Amino acid sequence: MSQFISKQHLLSWLGQLMENRHLVAPARVDGLILFKEVGRVEDIVFDYENTTLSPKEWFFPKTETLFYVERKDGKVELLPPEIEKETVIFGIRPCDARGITILDLPYLADPADTFYRQHREKTAMVGLSCLTACPECFCESMGSGPQDTAGLDIMLTEVKDGYLVEILTEKGKSLLSEGLLSTADLPKPKAPKTAAVPSEGVVQKMRQAFDSAYWSRVADRCIHCNVCAYVCPTCYCFDVRDYTDKGRTERVRSWESCQSPGFTKIAGGHDPRANKGARMRQRFGHKLLYFPEQFGPLHCVGCGRCVRSCPVNIDIREIIEDVQKMGAPK
Amino acid sequence: MSAAMDQTAQIRQKARELLENKVVDCVIGYERATDGVNARPLFVYEPEEADRLIFDQTCTHNLTRYLLNRKGKPTAIVVKPCDSRAINLLLNESQLQREKIHIIGVVCPGVVERQWRQASAKLLNACQVCQQHVPVIYDVLVGELPSEPTVAEHYPDVVEMEAKSAEERQVFWKEQFSRCIRCYACRQACPGCYCPECFAERLDPLWVGIRIAPGENEVWNTIRAFHLAGRCIGCYQCEQVCPVDIPLSLLNRKLEKEVLGLFNFQAGMDAETSPPFSTFKKEEKLGIGE
Repeated sequence: MSQFISKQHLLSWLGQLMENRHLVAPARVDGLILFKEVGRVEDIVFDYENTTLSPKEWFFPKTETLFYVERKDGKVELLPPEIEKETVIFGIRPCDARGITILDLPYLADPADTFYRQHREKTAMVGLSCLTACPECFCESMGSGPQDTAGLDIMLTEVKDGYLVEILTEKGKSLLSEGLLSTADLPKPKAPKTAAVPSEGVVQKMRQAFDSAYWSRVADRCIHCNVCAYVCPTCYCFDVRDYTDKGRTERVRSWESCQSPGFTKIAGGHDPRANKGARMRQRFGHKLLYFPEQFGPLHCVGCGRCVRSCPVNIDIREIIEDVQKMGAPK
Repeated sequence: MSAAMDQTAQIRQKARELLENKVVDCVIGYERATDGVNARPLFVYEPEEADRLIFDQTCTHNLTRYLLNRKGKPTAIVVKPCDSRAINLLLNESQLQREKIHIIGVVCPGVVERQWRQASAKLLNACQVCQQHVPVIYDVLVGELPSEPTVAEHYPDVVEMEAKSAEERQVFWKEQFSRCIRCYACRQACPGCYCPECFAERLDPLWVGIRIAPGENEVWNTIRAFHLAGRCIGCYQCEQVCPVDIPLSLLNRKLEKEVLGLFNFQAGMDAETSPPFSTFKKEEKLGIGE
């Protein structure tokens, strides 16, 4: 027997959540589907493959104030930013929820990033398992899958007239009252098959590919924008600046990417990764070698966003295949 | 598609010849992307790789931006008519040496919207109103001239936007820019955006901060558009590459239209005439402030 929630009950539950929390869900913005704070249940989109941007910005915002410094009556005061009310993200796909568990590794490792930790503690994730897979999805090759529950507080799986419910954490339990649920004798639908990418042993192969001319060849067509990093659910680099206005200084961090020219430029003007090939190697080196060496898992969940969004078709699936085919270095 | 097949064959043959005879050491063209439907840029260094080249209506990229990474190195490049205007712009702005580039111009029937993994039949907005089917500069021309040139109102979408009130336009653009993620794909794909240090990254003086937020997003997009006034060649790359579908070309083409009206100038039609804002002529008094 599984727990079940009817579509009608689901909608009224989402309506209740909105009353005292931010509710973030997939919504239509012009022709796109984006995660957005929604004020009306009718704005939530249920029939989507995945959103154009990942939900990581609710944990690692595009731009975030770290603190304000103010001079008042001859004293300098350090003011923390206001703490947000609780957030529920509805409709997160399994790959994206796993992406958050990947972000946890660098951001919650001691010493934890205070801001990330606060967002993480105040945010619950309600997942929607995938009934279909896009041709670019390769989550199963990256240790996830269309019904993966990693990182989620509640998982919903669509069935006739409603959803099967799996309450996975205490946080999930506190969100969804038993009264809305019933039991149903329904089997979980079969998970769709995603494309197979030969990820096994890729870490070792990447180590061997370090000095390959391959990276410069791929970098030839890279235009070094930041699309791949910004649509990625696991990329976590940022830049920090201070802005002063009328005696008040704000320290801000914003997303940055290893692909942008000048990302590694240091005082004095030297840039150890000035060369396009070196930047390209950094992206895939971080995803497939440095991150797994430091934290364990590959730094990719197979969501396929970078594959779809790259203006010049730099395709991580192809990179993995090419690296696997490379011989030992001479 | 037979015209495209023919163009592909001619491009491959030309590329092979140029590489075999060492006229150039690289040919920049297109190959099939991993979705099996679209095209992606290809750099060919060996004659035997020339058969990877293709040309058809999915070849949407303006490849001329890549020439700036190969300054001084003999390079051949496949260009559509709009792309060819970028070469003139870059020559005029002393960014390229004419003798180092070999231009394989393609007669262009227009390219289709880039829709990942599905063949699109819809011509780009730019191509629907395009009147330039033959490159304005080339060393070799590939393809047959179209019998009926398109004649259409060149700025239908701009005219439509102009009819709206200032408030409506402001609401529209604020909404569009609010979802900008400042990935700079528009800048990186643009043949006219080649400053070694972009104003967006300048620290001193500070023009715009790093925040990815409505205010900064507006400043970023507006200044970029102004920097392209009289320089934009209308290739739509910015709009094509934008991951969040901001209709950037609408902004650029508004400025193109203004420059056309004020100075009777369109960027990149030849390599000799400098863009209006790169020059100063006494007779160009516009009556502003008089």
